[in-house]
Amino acid sequence: MSQKSLHLRLGIVASLFALFLVFYAIPTYVFSPSNVGNIILSPKFWPYVLAGFTAIIGLGLLFNAVTSATDTPFEDEETGHPEGSAPWMRLGALGAIMVLVMVGLPLLGMVWTAMLAFAACAFLFRTRHPVAALVCAVIVPLLLYAFFAHVAGVAIPQGEFVRLP
Amino acid sequence: MSLMDSLAAGFALVGNIEAFLMLFIGLTVGVIAGAIPGLSATMAVALTLPFTFAMTPINAILLLLGVYKGGIFGGSIPAILIKTPGTPASSATILDGHPMAERGEAGRALGMALYASCTADAVSNLALILFAGWLASFALNFGPPEFFALILFSLTIIAGVSGESLLRGALSALAGLLLATIGLDLVYGTNRFTLGNPNMMGGLNFIAVLIGLFAIPEIISMAWNPVAHLGKTRALGKSRCTWADYKNSFKSIIRGSMIGVFLGSIPGIGAAPSAFLSYSEARRTSKNKDNFGKGEIEGVAASEAGNNGVAGATLIPLLALGVPGDVITAIIIGAFMVHGLQPGPMMFILNVDIIYGLFIGLIVSSVFLLLVGSVAIRGFRFVADVPKRILMPGVLILCIYGVFAVNNNIFDVGVMFVMGWVGYIMMRNRIPAAPFLIAFILGPLLEDNFRQSMLMSGSDPSILFRGPITWFFWFLTFVTVFAITRSTLRKKVPLS
Repeated sequence: MSQKSLHLRLGIVASLFALFLVFYAIPTYVFSPSNVGNIILSPKFWPYVLAGFTAIIGLGLLFNAVTSATDTPFEDEETGHPEGSAPWMRLGALGAIMVLVMVGLPLLGMVWTAMLAFAACAFLFRTRHPVAALVCAVIVPLLLYAFFAHVAGVAIPQGEFVRLP
Repeated sequence: MSLMDSLAAGFALVGNIEAFLMLFIGLTVGVIAGAIPGLSATMAVALTLPFTFAMTPINAILLLLGVYKGGIFGGSIPAILIKTPGTPASSATILDGHPMAERGEAGRALGMALYASCTADAVSNLALILFAGWLASFALNFGPPEFFALILFSLTIIAGVSGESLLRGALSALAGLLLATIGLDLVYGTNRFTLGNPNMMGGLNFIAVLIGLFAIPEIISMAWNPVAHLGKTRALGKSRCTWADYKNSFKSIIRGSMIGVFLGSIPGIGAAPSAFLSYSEARRTSKNKDNFGKGEIEGVAASEAGNNGVAGATLIPLLALGVPGDVITAIIIGAFMVHGLQPGPMMFILNVDIIYGLFIGLIVSSVFLLLVGSVAIRGFRFVADVPKRILMPGVLILCIYGVFAVNNNIFDVGVMFVMGWVGYIMMRNRIPAAPFLIAFILGPLLEDNFRQSMLMSGSDPSILFRGPITWFFWFLTFVTVFAITRSTLRKKVPLS
């Protein structure tokens, strides 16, 4: 990717995001008391200022992209890029693991969810040590549970099935 | 309180085995984490933070400072042995360190890296002790307009120099400032971007955001390319760094330390630019300038002195002004807050025992670093052999436990995951994460000081330019923007 195409893309995103903030997000999700007479002291003022600066930066990025004469790729661009759809599938799988962690934490408890997540990630990353990965998947969450629950006094979620001491 | 009283109070706080043990453990953890490519010093400090919740404030901060200092040195080990910097600050060390390793002098290069690091660390700590108190007493004169101008200047310079582009840095900082507006309004208590969710009324949890931004993207990167980390480790070789080597490089070490102190005390610049500047100055003035880049030990000394000289100096703006100098000190400011402390000029009055306790601990840390570093150099092979494809799932689990432990809230774990993807998208689009995080921390302060100024003046903006201190910071802000814009334009239009 070149700086020109990157700035073009970022410029468009930043400008659209600024418009989204000004015309939808701030009026809808930022509440101001009706008795605030002075706009500078209003809770909406600061978000509007930031949205304005985002628009300016977005336009700056677009201007930079449009006026840039060269279109050479970044020098340190990753060369050993993995090809095909496999990396995207792994990203999707990792995203799914994260969603399942969120679902599993209140249901299974942190320790069991962490064990499953550890093992799933290790196999997703194609570990060359599957036995060691499984052993670590059991031991690491238990050790962390022992520290946080019994040393730091954190109420680690236990889930609805198996409870730990 | 006199200096002796303050020192005595500091000794009373850290004069126990537990405090020094925490410092030692911190250094060990930092060196090991820094030595593992992909586990940066930043990530190490972020992941250590949740373990400090149950500790006393002084032990917690000493542990984190140990991880910080150890991490910066540890980064030089893989830089020399496998041509992969453990931390971005060690990038300059590769230039001469790896060629030395290739010709069988890795032990000599690592020895010099250690001695230069410890010397620079000691110089940096001395600068901190000398200047932080002075700056804090000066900062007692600051009111809201002065703090507003100072924070604005800090954000400008952080946005400008953190990445390759001022525009992308500014975009990152603005995103951080916007994220910081989530929660209840500071003055009226009305909802801002909370989407009706009570979990968001207090704003997003700082630790969830920082771990999400700095640890999760590395895990996502591993999913993208699980074999990117594989490299060839060089042997240590038989040659060792001698007293003559150290003596010959001493001038470059001291110069690099001074550069580190100067750049480190300016918020936002960080260790990597300091290492490169120190390296280029050493090359410019050295008798052996032709050998630089081919395995010159003075080059290793200069770059390591440059990056370690920053470590103590970044604490000057943190402790004296409450403004983090870089991402790691931004995490450390979070640790202060978790433990009910607010860094800034008032801390030198209200918590002088902690300040002097930290100073004492930092002096001792230079000696500990020498001990831990010597062992780490020999033990690196074991660290390098840790399979990263098992380590990274472990980091993920640690992140989940650590972030949950802050507020006992599963929502924070979700925030961490979301911020992880945000951080990954930023990484892929070459948007620096440092301005985002620092702006997220400084955002409420910036807005609060702005609104206090407006309340003081009856909404007259001229209060933001009310005296020499504000003029000074505004002047610096404009000079920074001008200088960065000019250098960007020069890069864009090459001189013919």
